[in-house]
Amino acid sequence: MSGSDGDGAVASADGATAATDETRAATDGRGPVGSGNSFFGDVWVNFKRWNLKAVRNPFVLVVSLVQPIIFLVLFTEVFGTVAGGAVNQGIPGISYETYLVPAIAVQVALAAAITSGVGLVNDIENGMFEKVLVTPMNRTAVFVGKTAAEVFRIAVQIAIIIGLGVALGAEVVSGVVGVVGIVAVGVLFSLWFVAFSNALALLTRDQESTIIGANLLQFPLLFLSSAFLPLGALPGWIQTFARFNPVTYGVDAARSLMVDRDVMTVIDVSWFGGTLDGVAPGVAVLAGLDLLLGGVAVYLLSRASSSDVK
Amino acid sequence: MSSQDPGVGVEPSRDEGSAASDGPANAAIDVDGLELVYSDGTAAVQGVDMTVPEGEFFGFLGPNGAGKTTTIKVFATLLSPTAGEVSVNGFDVRSEPRAIRETIGYMAQETSIDPELTAEENVRFACEAYGVPSAERDERVTELLDLVDLADVADKRSEEFSGGMKKRLDAATALVHRPPLVFLDEPTTGLDPKARNRLWEYFRRINDLGTTIFLTTQYLEEADQLCDRLAVILDGEIVADGSPADLKREVGGEVLDVELEADGDASSRAATIAREFEAFADASVTETDEGISVTAETAREHGTDLLVALRDADLTVTGFNIRAPTLDDVFLAITGEELDADESSEADAEGSR
Repeated sequence: MSGSDGDGAVASADGATAATDETRAATDGRGPVGSGNSFFGDVWVNFKRWNLKAVRNPFVLVVSLVQPIIFLVLFTEVFGTVAGGAVNQGIPGISYETYLVPAIAVQVALAAAITSGVGLVNDIENGMFEKVLVTPMNRTAVFVGKTAAEVFRIAVQIAIIIGLGVALGAEVVSGVVGVVGIVAVGVLFSLWFVAFSNALALLTRDQESTIIGANLLQFPLLFLSSAFLPLGALPGWIQTFARFNPVTYGVDAARSLMVDRDVMTVIDVSWFGGTLDGVAPGVAVLAGLDLLLGGVAVYLLSRASSSDVK
Repeated sequence: MSSQDPGVGVEPSRDEGSAASDGPANAAIDVDGLELVYSDGTAAVQGVDMTVPEGEFFGFLGPNGAGKTTTIKVFATLLSPTAGEVSVNGFDVRSEPRAIRETIGYMAQETSIDPELTAEENVRFACEAYGVPSAERDERVTELLDLVDLADVADKRSEEFSGGMKKRLDAATALVHRPPLVFLDEPTTGLDPKARNRLWEYFRRINDLGTTIFLTTQYLEEADQLCDRLAVILDGEIVADGSPADLKREVGGEVLDVELEADGDASSRAATIAREFEAFADASVTETDEGISVTAETAREHGTDLLVALRDADLTVTGFNIRAPTLDDVFLAITGEELDADESSEADAEGSR
């Protein structure tokens, strides 16, 4: 603890002085940064940490991919011939593989988003949550960095699923642009569930409750939507539910990109005249939902970081 | 312990020019009328005043639920005070929390490390979080891992570490930015004596380098060994402060511990006899697990007389000892209770989460 000590100490005192003007704004987590890092520096630090943690848990990485892969393979093999007819009534001329890939992409997003809340609970349990609050890092940047790491992982996993789907015989009619679009829709879709799992984490403060709570929703959401069969082939009450189910909007938007035509089943618009008529309403609904649940999660997070003081 | 000699090593960084503090120019912590009420109505801290000068090794004692952790969390900007003025390193806790976060190290009561990362990665993350310049990070990481004796296991995941190793790693991460003021909230609770001694040695070392240390502890021996000055908090109020020697002197006289053969109400009978014993004018008598403990000016001269009186009352004395007061006696005299880790208190809110 000698040598360059003096320099480091002086530098940090200067930084502190410079920061004082900005700290008032910074208390709520949105102000400018006074530490050695910029806002994006803080984002990057946390992005790296959460990616490192993801890599340290290959089991979680693999399992959250394997379940959707099992669905993809089993559904196409078992229901492919039967479902093909129903699918062709809705969207003529496509294989069940092509029909299913967007749904599995959304399933990957759901499964991976659950781990976001689990990571937060772990951080609270092992003290890292509080430890990070004591650092001068911008608090918004801390959670942006964490979410960015999760979104990055989800994007990679969706890309893998699309690749696997193509290997099994699915066809992305819109090509590379479509693949990028499907990944983007999947990420947009994942955000509301990321926010939801974080909110669940902050409310339960318990790892198992978070996993069970989020998993409980996963299958009803998937099956009561246009994910596996066209809505026309499903009972009336499911059609009604699917109208309010975010999965329908995510899947239909991704599927419109997949087959390069408007296959949105629950909202009918003709703003653009083409594929975008199927994508835009889904994107709009998901963006709204992201903002809503994101707001709830941010509110709970800021409450958790300021503790219950009068 | 050598806070009188801060010139050896590092001049701690502090913003001398800051006008934010009304307190003495060289106060690391300056508190005036701190109150904190949790939203459930628990008044955890009720009117605390204190000043901790730079370079001091300061001990903060009290039973569980007395308000120690709550107070330390206010200093670390984790809780905002309900009332009162608090400045840390010359910065106000309400208006300049970020400046405080940059200039303090904080080691929470619960060991806080990321178990999925290695020792080295934990320290590196802390370096990045505190904005240690990237050119200095490698050197800083190596230096800190050496300091806490974890260089050998730098690349092992910290979930494999023992409790003592985790605590030492936690301590290293709290020091990456060379803070002039460090908060240690019960840093040695649950450690074996060897691990505890190692941490003590380490805390002394950074204090020798000029770092102000604010320590809370359950172990009075720890406070006695390490601290220049102590304050005792009870039910959210400070009830005593001074150097360990001063506090012991205030107890007055010496302590006579008497062990009795266990026999129903032997202890209470003996306590009654000791209280009425004329030779001990102003004795304070307490019942202990083994028998009784008598503190009096004349304990040494008239101790044997008391033993005779006890024998005459058909009590069997199995052992006795006359000694100088320890901090335990101080604590007993001040709070009327022993510092007991299991003591239950309504102020559960003090729990560290």
